[in-house]
Amino acid sequence: MIPTLTTDRLTLRGPREADFDAVAGFFADGGRSDFFGGPLTRGNAWRWFAMSIGHWQLKGFGFWMVELTATGQHCGLCGLWQPEGWPEPELGWAVFEGFEGMGIAKEAALAARAFAYGTLGWTTLTSNIMPGNTRSIALAERLGARLDRRFDNPLVGEELVYRHPAPEAAS
Amino acid sequence: MSAAAIPVIETRRLVLRAPLAEDYPDFRATFASYRSRFMGGPLNGYEAWMLYAAEIGHWEIRGFGMWMIHDRVTGATLGMAGGWQPAKWPEREIAWIIWPDRAGHGYALEATHAVRRHLYRHMDWQGAVSYIDPKNLDSIRLAERLGCVKDAEAQTIDGSDAVYRHPSPAKLDNSQLAHGIEMEIQHYADPLFKPKGWAID
Repeated sequence: MIPTLTTDRLTLRGPREADFDAVAGFFADGGRSDFFGGPLTRGNAWRWFAMSIGHWQLKGFGFWMVELTATGQHCGLCGLWQPEGWPEPELGWAVFEGFEGMGIAKEAALAARAFAYGTLGWTTLTSNIMPGNTRSIALAERLGARLDRRFDNPLVGEELVYRHPAPEAAS
Repeated sequence: MSAAAIPVIETRRLVLRAPLAEDYPDFRATFASYRSRFMGGPLNGYEAWMLYAAEIGHWEIRGFGMWMIHDRVTGATLGMAGGWQPAKWPEREIAWIIWPDRAGHGYALEATHAVRRHLYRHMDWQGAVSYIDPKNLDSIRLAERLGCVKDAEAQTIDGSDAVYRHPSPAKLDNSQLAHGIEMEIQHYADPLFKPKGWAID
């Protein structure tokens, strides 16, 4: 039911039970996950993981597990996200330890954005980024997104809403 | 297990189905209310949605989960019941919640009895527990009507809950307990129902 996307190096596929340890490891690392709703205990990471699967069924889109196609290693999360309380759907990403600096987030985000504009037919797309997350801000700007407004997220506080270029400009 | 693969369970008054997006508003209302105080609530909209999505994901990960309880005639949702085992749960649990304005009709007993039978017969469960807040007297009473016994030796989730152990499939099958539960459900469905032929003690 969850579509699989492929890029030059990556496979974006639906989450499976066997992915949980990698996800829990990411959320246990506060320095890495604190811009992504973490850190989370293993129990709360399981709830997040289950929720991310339910998100697909409730909304028809969600987060993919990002795998390095050549090795099958889990290297991050990327997808489209809009739980209750989100002002509009967003494109989000996270890269696991050991996979930074390889352009993985950008490659995955471009594939997810193309899916949103193409398959889902969306006409606009945002990314909510927490202030201080300079790496994600830099990536949003490389993807052509620009700061649109600020948003008071009920869960994590103030976030910066970056708006991606419209489909014609992004393709 | 996707929604289409989740089995449908039917009882005299109820139909239990996969939880769907359209059922969410009733869930949200209950989890915004004081009714949910023994189930981690009350929750704000974001938290309630996360929990609902997690209940759906639970089916996918575990192959079992919580069913949405519907009135057979009107289709209205009445609550949820099913199997539950997120990370950190020592054992598989049978859990239930009835919407506050639907309580008092024996729906939880009818749904939970049917769910337990399904888990035992079709999903190969050899037993189950229910983790209940010691202040949740309504749920403790229901657990006891289902034949559960408090297990003081069993591991709890976090020390704040009591463990009620369900009778095993062998103990429940064709037992006086099971017949008693079925008669009590009959009585809820038809208040004039009087069992014939033998006295119930």
